[in-house]
Parts: sequence; C-alpha cells; structure tokens
Amino acid sequence: MSSKIDFAGSALARCAPSDATAVAGPTPSQTSARFGSITLAALALPGLVAPIGAQVAPLEEGVIAAKFGVYEDRQPGLTRVRAISPSLYIASPIASSWSFEGSLTHDNVSGASPRWHSSISSASRMADHRTAATAKLTKSFERVAVALGGAYSDEQDYRSRAGSLELRIASADNNRTWSIAFAHTDDNIFPTNRAARGATRRTNELGLSVTQNWTKHDVVQLAISRAEGRGYYNDPYKIVDIRPRERDQTTATLRWNHFIASSGDALRTSYRFYSDSFGIRAHTLDAAYAKALNDRWIVTPTLRYHTQSAANFYYDPVYDPVVGEPFPVVLGRFASPDHRLSAFGAVTVGVRADWKLDSRWTLDAKLERYEQRSSWRLGGGGSPGLAPLTALIAQIGFTRTF
Amino acid sequence: MKLVFFGASFFGRRSVLLGQALFFVALSSGCAYNPPAAWERGDLAKVKMKFDADRLDAMAAQHTYFSKEAASGGTGVGGGGCGCN
Repeated sequence: MSSKIDFAGSALARCAPSDATAVAGPTPSQTSARFGSITLAALALPGLVAPIGAQVAPLEEGVIAAKFGVYEDRQPGLTRVRAISPSLYIASPIASSWSFEGSLTHDNVSGASPRWHSSISSASRMADHRTAATAKLTKSFERVAVALGGAYSDEQDYRSRAGSLELRIASADNNRTWSIAFAHTDDNIFPTNRAARGATRRTNELGLSVTQNWTKHDVVQLAISRAEGRGYYNDPYKIVDIRPRERDQTTATLRWNHFIASSGDALRTSYRFYSDSFGIRAHTLDAAYAKALNDRWIVTPTLRYHTQSAANFYYDPVYDPVVGEPFPVVLGRFASPDHRLSAFGAVTVGVRADWKLDSRWTLDAKLERYEQRSSWRLGGGGSPGLAPLTALIAQIGFTRTF
Repeated sequence: MKLVFFGASFFGRRSVLLGQALFFVALSSGCAYNPPAAWERGDLAKVKMKFDADRLDAMAAQHTYFSKEAASGGTGVGGGGCGCN
C-alpha cells in the first residue's frame, strides 16, 4: 500500500504498451509488391523492427531483454527506501500472424516506512517483495491487429489482476494508426495492520489514440484515456487518511519524435495533461535526445518536469513546536496528508547509454536523479511543510534479437 | 491558421496553451504535414525514433512515477495496479 511501500524503481504496473502504430510499415508482402527491396532491406536490419504493441503488422523477429534496476530515495536526514528490481521481457512471433509479449519483474523493497508526512521520527523498518507479470497475445490481419492482454501483481498486502482488449487499425498508406483499448482491473487490499479487511477496488479504462507519420522525419501520437475506479483508495498505514471511494482520471498525451537527418540523432518529446475527480491537475513534459556517437554507441540525455496541484481533500499538517510530529487537522469529510496528493513540482535528469555489440546484442545502462519540491510547482504555491525528496535510479540491461 | 488542440473548458487554459505551443514548435521547425511514402520511412523505423522502444525501461519509469506522483497513465491501459500508490 501507499505508505508501506512508498517507493519506486521497479518495472511493471500500469504499464500497458503504447497503443498505436508509431512507424509500422507495410506488411512484408505489401512492401515487397509495392515498394521493392529497398524498404524491405531497411526493415530487415537488426534493431529496426517496430516494438511489439506499437504496430499492426506481425513481428518479424523476436526480442529478449533483461534489466537490473536499483532505486533509492531519501529526504534530509533519512535514507528512506531502496528497491532492487530484476526484470525480464520477451516478444516473439509465434506463427505467421500471431505475436506474444510478456514480462516478469520482482521487486525487493526495504527501508524506512511508513512516514505519513515529512516527519522522520516515526519511521520504522520495513521489507516487502512484489512479483508482477504481464502477457499479451496479438493477432494481426491485413491492416488490423487485435491484442488480448493480462497483468498480475502480487505483494504482501496487495493483489492486482487486469485484462485488456485492444484494436489497432492502420490507414491504407500505413502512415496512420488508430487504436482503441479497454481494460478492467481488479485490486484486492489486505493491509498488514488489518485497518481494512476484504477491501477491493475495480477500475475500467478506455484508451483512444492516433499515431501519424507526420513527415519522413517526424512521428506524432495523441492518446486520450479515461479511467473510472470504484472502491478502497485510503492509505491504511496513515493515521488520518479518508478518501473518496471513486476516482475518475483523464489523461491526454501528445508525443512527438523528430529525426535529425544531418546528424542521425533523434529528439523525443512528450506532454501529458492529467485531471482527476480528486481535484488534481498535472502537467508533465518529457524530452530525450538520442545522440549517435558512431555505429555502435548512442548516448541519450533525458529531462522531465512534472507539476501538479493538490487534491481537494489534501490538508497541510501542522508541525507542533513541542511534539514535532505533523498534527492532523481534519477539516472535511475526506482528508489525507499523503504528500503524493500535495501540490509540488518534480524534475528528473538522466543519461542513458546504448552499446551495440553486434547485429544481435545490445547493452544499455541508465542513471537518473529525481527530485521533488513543493516550491517547484509551476506558478508557485506548492504545499508547505514538505521536505524535498530525492531519488537515484540506476539500471543496466541487455537486449538480444532472435 | 486557427489551431484547435482541446476544449479549454475540459482541459483548462494552461494545457491548451502548452499543447498548442508544442504544435507551434513542430510547425515552426519545418514540420509541415507531409506523410512519407513507404520507401521514405527508413529513419522513422530506427529504434531511437520509437515510442517506448525499450519496454522494460518504459515500464520501470512509469512504475516509478506512479509510486511518487498523483498523475499516471497516458501511454496505454490495462497494466494493472500495485500497492505502491
């Protein structure tokens, strides 16, 4: 639950693939018939195959990848949580028009928790494990693909099961792909402190997207999603935390990737708007610049900025000068001091390196630093009394095609 | 040219401005709409031009932010939940 494992740094969870074709080319037969061998040769080059989940045509080769990630966050005077997360991913054609994609992640989490605001004196030690898996089966037709997916996540006090159905349709010229996806998630919550027994949450999601090859060097994607959840949203590990039993979330995401022909580099950008029935509005900007050093090395600096307003029922706890602990001030029917529901801004700065060993193998490494401050909220006016939170994220991995 | 991004009443004025800013950046950088022919898609097909080309990395990042921030989603549906938020 939220404060018991108030952490990050692992894979999976809410991680369905992007849903529309980015650069899905024509199927091999169409390509061959209409455009000759040049395009075929380009598409057949290792590493040029569109990622599964983002194309209509069936996969032409398989991919297996593994990662080992370490996450550690801290606030002034306290190292809070460390998570170690190995993960595995595979995508493969399994017949001429079928593809399979799956992933498996295990999180080892330990550290100080819970802290129901920024006070550190009540911190205690905790440890938890989480195992998560996803699977997706895709059937491709001439310009249509249908994907059936499932996700499972299990930890000591939380279990989540999800299923999804997605339809992707490519335009006649293969420059545009429409996607519509529906998902249902069943969550079961059983806090170790028995604050809630048999608590459940049900969520239905609908996603729509369109991906367009804008020019021969630009691809854009617009995705809109709506999620409606009903059930238990409280944090049972916080002293005062009473939230509405329904949460409706809307996102609109615009992504734009631009290829710079003169250097062979790529600029990837995105903007996401988020709104929910808790009263939170958020804006997130992402940018990554993939710099090709030579045929084997790509270095990618990344920058992300996130800003959000507070939930309607978030309250600013009062720190008593004698006691020191944040004093719960409950003013309404709903109340929560969860800092993730507060108003703040966050910046992530990182760099990633990809080293292509040969036509099949690629190694990658990533290092990121995340920092969250209330004063960094866009336009100011962040929630008072919150200690800055910083996190380091390191990750190494490999990818092999087959 | 009047560029309509989203309804301001639904998404708010600030997001409309940010969205339109992105479009204007695209347009001003010479990205007039000109869909490529099939034989011109070689650069678009490169891994570095993919959305979420590294699935594990994308999933890890989404999970990280899901556990630290209130906002989530935007790149797909049906990934399931977890107890981290």
